[in-house]
Amino acid sequence: MSGGPPRPRGGDTTTDDRSSRTGRLGDWSRTRAENVTRIARWEVTKNAGGVDRRTVIIAVLAVIGLGAMAPVAVSQGVSLDQGIYRVGVVPEDPYYDPVFLDPTFRVQNPSSAAVEAGKQEIRIVGPQVREYADTTKGRAAVDELRSSTMRYNDGIMGLEDNQSAAFPVVVNLSYVQRDATRVVAPGEQAIAVDSGEDEEAGGGDGAGGGGDGSSDDGSGDENGDGTAGDGSDAGGDGDSDVTQPEGGSNVGSSTIGARLTGGGTSGAPSDITPPFPFRSLVLAFVFVLPLNFVIQAYGSTILSERINRRGELLLVSPVSRGDIIVGKTLPYFAAAIGVATAITLVLRGSAISVLAIVPLAMLFLAATFLGAMFARSFKELTFVTVTITVSLTSYAFVPAIFTDVTPIALISPLTLVVRDLQGQAIGLGQFAFSTLPPTLTALTLFGLGAGLYREEDMFTQRPIPYKVLDALAGPITRRRSVALVTAVLLPFVLVAELVVVAFMYPLTQASIPFGVIVFAAFVGIALVEELAKSLHVYAGYAHSRFDDTLRTALVVGLFSGIGFFLAEKLTLIARLADLQEVEIGQAALGEQALLQTGVPLPILVVALLLAPLALHVVTASISALGARRGRRSYAVALVIAVAVHVAYNLTVVTALAQ
Amino acid sequence: MITARDLRKEYGGFVAVEGSTFTVEEGEVFGIIGPNGAGKTTTLKMLAGLVEPTDGDVSVAGYDAGETEMRQRLGFLPEESPLYEEMTPLSYLHFFADLYDVPDGVADRRIHDTLERLDLDHRERPLGDMSKGMKRKVAIARSLINDPDVLIYDEPGSGLDPLTTNYIIDFTRELGEQGKTIVFSAHNLYHVESICDRVAIMNEGKIVAKGDLDELQAEHGRTEYHVYTTVDVPGSSRENGNYRRVVESMDAVDETRSAAQEAGGQVVDIRTEESSLEEVFLEVAESESAVERGSGARP
Repeated sequence: MSGGPPRPRGGDTTTDDRSSRTGRLGDWSRTRAENVTRIARWEVTKNAGGVDRRTVIIAVLAVIGLGAMAPVAVSQGVSLDQGIYRVGVVPEDPYYDPVFLDPTFRVQNPSSAAVEAGKQEIRIVGPQVREYADTTKGRAAVDELRSSTMRYNDGIMGLEDNQSAAFPVVVNLSYVQRDATRVVAPGEQAIAVDSGEDEEAGGGDGAGGGGDGSSDDGSGDENGDGTAGDGSDAGGDGDSDVTQPEGGSNVGSSTIGARLTGGGTSGAPSDITPPFPFRSLVLAFVFVLPLNFVIQAYGSTILSERINRRGELLLVSPVSRGDIIVGKTLPYFAAAIGVATAITLVLRGSAISVLAIVPLAMLFLAATFLGAMFARSFKELTFVTVTITVSLTSYAFVPAIFTDVTPIALISPLTLVVRDLQGQAIGLGQFAFSTLPPTLTALTLFGLGAGLYREEDMFTQRPIPYKVLDALAGPITRRRSVALVTAVLLPFVLVAELVVVAFMYPLTQASIPFGVIVFAAFVGIALVEELAKSLHVYAGYAHSRFDDTLRTALVVGLFSGIGFFLAEKLTLIARLADLQEVEIGQAALGEQALLQTGVPLPILVVALLLAPLALHVVTASISALGARRGRRSYAVALVIAVAVHVAYNLTVVTALAQ
Repeated sequence: MITARDLRKEYGGFVAVEGSTFTVEEGEVFGIIGPNGAGKTTTLKMLAGLVEPTDGDVSVAGYDAGETEMRQRLGFLPEESPLYEEMTPLSYLHFFADLYDVPDGVADRRIHDTLERLDLDHRERPLGDMSKGMKRKVAIARSLINDPDVLIYDEPGSGLDPLTTNYIIDFTRELGEQGKTIVFSAHNLYHVESICDRVAIMNEGKIVAKGDLDELQAEHGRTEYHVYTTVDVPGSSRENGNYRRVVESMDAVDETRSAAQEAGGQVVDIRTEESSLEEVFLEVAESESAVERGSGARP
């Protein structure tokens, strides 16, 4: 210590240093903000000059139309079958009321001539169908009349004082929320709880109706009594939906809607059909659709920078790559969030809906950015954006449809939006689980794209697979970098693994043996993880980043395995995910499940730390050894690594089962 | 003003530039010439901070290549004119003025003056509707928007008609006369010869010769003496009533004079002709190729 230079002492000096650092940081931030704003402003101005007024008007009208469609569709549903069957019936006939109340039918004066001429499907005289058109439509009309009459009769019976006589056997069907709303980690707060809409909606997706009525404790204080003695209360709102077809089903008065939401909660069991989550579908669709338009424009602007080397002059100007990318992205991000905000306001959602769209918008833009950096022409960009649209829309949209069906739906941020708009509570853990993986994935994609945003890579015409390798090799400057890249790739792993688990979920509903499904999940997950640990290593070798020695391959494998292990343990994804409730999730993510067992600590340490670390290092080294020898060797080594990984996972599951 | 030391750029296994070392003094016009694929453009891009050298260092105006401060002092003109074709010249130039943080009033004046000097009309017409020459002028105006100390021009007259090319070369010469430090490459060696103070000749990624024109000529060129005599001397040929003998040294000139006197005649005129840059370049390129063929170092 004595030999060193005297360190500055005194509060003033320290304060000066601190204020100097703060000042530099302030200058840096101000410069970044100014540069980004400049580029964003000119991005808008430049493109505004290239878009004619008619296009702008059409785009605005499309957005307004979409905004107008959403609440209408959500509140009324589709009524494609309104008035499609023409029925001749007079008010004095007993069938008049069922026909009149069902919008599927259009009431006409009974006319035999009209039936023969094909202008009337059914002619009713008195208490019976006297005549109907002997056509497919005519027979369908009779079937529909039969169903409508049954529903009408059920409704009448429901008004009877003696419900036991009216419904000797009652099937009370209650759609209960999955634990998604109940499972909030200890100490967490719900972001918003407003269940009022459920009641108003008369069951929502079938989740609300009767939800409260069937108490969790099974005592049935209200519902039990109501079911047995007072049938009209049975099932709460859901019940009234069925007995009165126009009485507030979440898909309106349509009979298609009635079928979609589940025919009824009382009557013959054959009348009861599972609900179709139409409302969730519409809400998810309305939010995800604008993103697909935004990325088309965004992809074009990024690629146009690369065509004819236009972006070269921005690269040589006194703004950083990051400023350029953020500046060019900002207008499109703002547009996406602006549209989402407008839709949220129209649908009376909360800020949570907008916040949930943020990572999704980032993910769409980031994937498009990277895709546009890969594409060599607008033709290729079209392929890229279509791929992104299909894959990301599937990722976001499909789970959100099943918001009230399964907690796996939370893998999509859109599920949060649907739940928010339905007034359901959202825990912080759930919010983080839904939004963190896409956010991290988006940042990683932007990072990979930014690595290519330089003269040497932007303007070259290399095939897309080579560009992918370029992007992965970009951050690898030395052997140690491999660990960082592996860790950074973890968001992809999380999303991909969740998608694998989600794909397995439908299989559990089919008659496929559970063991086979688990094995398939293991293979899928192992493949995802091994690719994440080795693809950039292969890219590094392809770009001559490493010397061709056995020792280097092993060192690189070691770094990759350690990077993956550390990143994976940091996430503790399964605990946030509530996936432990899903049988497949338990099996696929078995390591974390150990936490909840009574396994002794030393064994727990080995199982949770040393064994996975060894696994990741070994398999990453196997892949690295293959990557060192070229593409074919890498493919073979990857297969071996996956096999080792699957074998390991099977061992863990077997141990857990015991 | 510019220092390049041991520059090397490798793309995959291909070496585009190797061992390039040179300096450019303040106010100097430095030309880089060489055949296609010699590494001229890569060298210029490394100077501009666009391409990161695999090895070696570049310093411009006291800053490392690529630093923000260095970019503020640099005007770069690439070989093509990559413009935003939906913009007009005025909006395009204002965009870059904004990026370079040029105050609005200064930018307005500078844009107006530069476009006047470049004789560019149609300032509100979309760039996509303009001719190649007009686009080139806009690109040059952009390179001057920040009033840079250093200009790096890659083939400024490339692909243009002779009239526009000469206009742009003259304009570049004026910039040099105003004290700008300019590094530029060109295929047309006449242009380089006419405006450059010093030249580097590149071939297959290496600088094979450099210096001012006199030095290059002394080292790689030839000086020919055309000695005109009234009588026939060995090695002469008849021309316009006299005899002309071409020799390459003053000793040979003296020898010719003696021979003419011995034959009863005299020397009536001596004219000196030096190699053009093009001849120097061809000489260097051919000798380099011969060396490569001889060594068998490259396939």
